[in-house]
Amino acid sequence: MEILDKLLNVALLVATLRTTAPILLVALGGSFTTKAGIFNIGLEGQMLVGAFFAVLGSIWSGSALIGVACGVVAALVFALAFAVLVVSFRANEVVVGLALNILAGGMTISLMKAIFGTRGSIVGQKIVGLPKVQIPGARDLLGSWAPLVSGYTPMVYVAFVAVPFLVLFYKRTRLGLYIRVVGEKPEAAEALGISITRVRYTASLLCGLLAGLAGAHLSLGYITMFTENMSSGRGFMAVAILIFSAGDPLKVLAGCLLFGFADAFSLRLQTFGFPSYLILAVPYLVALVALFALSYRSRPRIIRETLESMKKMLSVETKPAETGNNLPR
Amino acid sequence: MSDTSPAKRQETTSPAENAVELIDITKRFGAFVANERVNLRVKRGEIHAIIGENGAGKTTLMNILFGLLQPDEGRIVLNGRETIVTDPATAIDAGLGMVHQHFKLVPSLSVADNVFLGMEIRRNGLIDQAAQIEKTRELSERFGLKVEPQERVSLLSVGIEQRIEILKVLARGARTIILDEPTAVLTPQESRELFQTLRGFVADGMTVIFISHHLEEVMEVSDTVTVLRHGKHVATRPTAELTKDDLVRMMVGRNVSFDRRRRTKTAGEVVLDVKNLWARDERRLPALRDASFTVRAGEIVGIAGVAGNGQTELAEVLAGLRPASHGSAMLKGRDLTALTPAAIRDAGFAHVPGDRMVRGVDGSASISSNLLMGRQFKAPWSRNGVLDWDGVAKQAVEMIKRFDIRARGPEDTVKRLSGGNIQKVVLAREFTNDADFLLIDQPTRGVDIGAQESIHDEIMRQRAAGRAVLVISVQLDELLTLADRILVMFNGRIMGEVEGDSADSERIGMMMAGLNASAASEVAA
Ligand SMILES: Nc1ncnc2c1ncn2[C@@H]1O[C@H](COP(=O)(O)OP(=O)(O)O)[C@@H](O)[C@H]1O
Ligand SMILES: [Mg+2]
Repeated sequence: MEILDKLLNVALLVATLRTTAPILLVALGGSFTTKAGIFNIGLEGQMLVGAFFAVLGSIWSGSALIGVACGVVAALVFALAFAVLVVSFRANEVVVGLALNILAGGMTISLMKAIFGTRGSIVGQKIVGLPKVQIPGARDLLGSWAPLVSGYTPMVYVAFVAVPFLVLFYKRTRLGLYIRVVGEKPEAAEALGISITRVRYTASLLCGLLAGLAGAHLSLGYITMFTENMSSGRGFMAVAILIFSAGDPLKVLAGCLLFGFADAFSLRLQTFGFPSYLILAVPYLVALVALFALSYRSRPRIIRETLESMKKMLSVETKPAETGNNLPR
Repeated sequence: MSDTSPAKRQETTSPAENAVELIDITKRFGAFVANERVNLRVKRGEIHAIIGENGAGKTTLMNILFGLLQPDEGRIVLNGRETIVTDPATAIDAGLGMVHQHFKLVPSLSVADNVFLGMEIRRNGLIDQAAQIEKTRELSERFGLKVEPQERVSLLSVGIEQRIEILKVLARGARTIILDEPTAVLTPQESRELFQTLRGFVADGMTVIFISHHLEEVMEVSDTVTVLRHGKHVATRPTAELTKDDLVRMMVGRNVSFDRRRRTKTAGEVVLDVKNLWARDERRLPALRDASFTVRAGEIVGIAGVAGNGQTELAEVLAGLRPASHGSAMLKGRDLTALTPAAIRDAGFAHVPGDRMVRGVDGSASISSNLLMGRQFKAPWSRNGVLDWDGVAKQAVEMIKRFDIRARGPEDTVKRLSGGNIQKVVLAREFTNDADFLLIDQPTRGVDIGAQESIHDEIMRQRAAGRAVLVISVQLDELLTLADRILVMFNGRIMGEVEGDSADSERIGMMMAGLNASAASEVAA
């Protein structure tokens, strides 16, 4: 009981929200492209350059805000490159996304070497991180529950507030509606004179914006440093969540919270002395298994068809020639 | 919509007699002439039917009228005013609206959202859904097109989708409505409702242009008929002066008969033996229940029923595309339910699928590639395991000739062909496999009359060659023409069997509605 108490408490919930934020931001960004019918696995790279240039901007300008802006601009440049190749030149989305991810990884490492002469990470006093936002009155109203709503860095609020905004955006704004139409039924969009190209560019850039914010949160949020590959697969987790949620903001939120919780929980477990390499894999495993279980019924067609054909092959091999003994259930 | 639009103003000041005049329209696609000096005059306030076989150029002509294509020659006069229709927006401004053959609705959006897509009503920058729903309801009530504005389109039937397409056109202020083969996707009941709506439009002073190759409905609903054949205008006459035979002759250029095919009894050994077959649909509910029947060599067995009563599932189970949950289907001693589709075909099974664009052909491939599919390892298509392209081409040329596929050549892309010709490509491939058993799902869906006759000829030839044939069709007439025996399906069950020679469509109709065989004969008697 005591152990449970130690594991599950307000601090764990706070940690959950904190770890959820970056993946939620980047996944919400991906929601724009997913809804517009683009499979964007370039999220990881956009987030990574966002993180790197946020640190760079912060050091150069001495301002966290300018740092964030630099991170966003860098991510937007990557998003634009993605859109030009995928939308205008109709290159394969997966190939372009992967290429940009690899480029992001390599570019940040070599720039780090060129500018700072170091390998591995940039740390130091000169990086100005984002301040924590204290919500006035929270302490008095909520007492020991106050940390649940107060004291996060700004991007955490941005991430969670973005969810209802996105719901509204897809339901009630013209651009949101057009993004959905372009993704779901491009012929309909075309027939009505909606420019598919323009809508997809817009969606890609909106995605870059949020991915950049997510990156800036990584490097200027709770820790103020940049390390090689610091997005550590969050962009890919976001892609997994997007596949299963079809970009729906509320489902994205649920998927990200699940991942955030598993992440926070595994960190907690680490303090109990479990081997860390195992623990670090836990959130990814939990999230994937849960996502798969949750969406098994509405699983994407590609997975469904693969499973079905596998089942068929197996059943044909094992099934005797004269069937008819398995009664209808 | 906008009462001040120029077209509308002129309509009220000096009413031109013709809503639409197309004068000497010629349209070429490369060397191919799709429309050759076609003239069309549509009087205001009439229902004007345009009929012609598939590929006659009807859709092309309407696309020109609606600004989706530009004519090479000719003039367009709308409401007495010469107009160059550069794009659909121009046509819409002139009061035209078009309901296309293939619907363009967004499934996840509501009815109202679809109606107003592209012309959203907004307030404070946000889409005013309440206003859109209200306006949709108004339109729906005014024109008697029943829809529930808040429902999601993905949940609706094709018939209702069509109503939404019509509402879209009405919401944009159309006074002349073009419908391209509107009844091809509808049940007879839905077609009747559509005709009522169209009559309502005309009573309201609107004009309807309506493309079809279904003669009965043209006779039933239209005031004037224009016939096109091979891209040329054949005649324009008041419907009342014409008989069905006249129309057929004008469309096809010769007499065509749809009487029951004469035959001698040739039924031989049992080729397909289906026993207690069950299957489930996508929602895991039983869709095929306890079907048992046989098909003999030299016999055509027909499956009748309203679409969606288990016929599709039956076809898919036999073809190995859907697992059976119980029962067996023995083809010459081998159980099809235990085989893969490829093994089923090797066992002597040919399949003409109900949805030819999905399972019948690869639309973006050439005719010769489509004719090759499935037998790429066999002579004369391949030699020593390597494709023999000369052999492939020679086979293709031969089949194009034998099955009268109208195309520019064997390398023509299949999706460019008309529905009837695509169907002939499928038939050509499936009928030349020397299979003992043929499963033909909807042999003539969306196929014009001339081609229907030749497809029926071909099926009868297969019967004469001793093949066992199972024909599934939602058109009862077709089964009455072809089948030796007719099985009627309702709600996944086979309700009863009727001999083709003594078949009585009333009794079959009863069974299609769910009465079992003995009850149906009592009521019919
Ligand atoms: N874009 C196009 N390019 C080439 N050929 C075309 C094109 N559109 C139609 N055709 C050809 O023009 C002919 C008439 O087609 P269409 O007007 O669709 O006939 P219908 O509607 O009467 O069935 C057909 O043979 C078709 O293959
Ligand atoms: Mg057509």
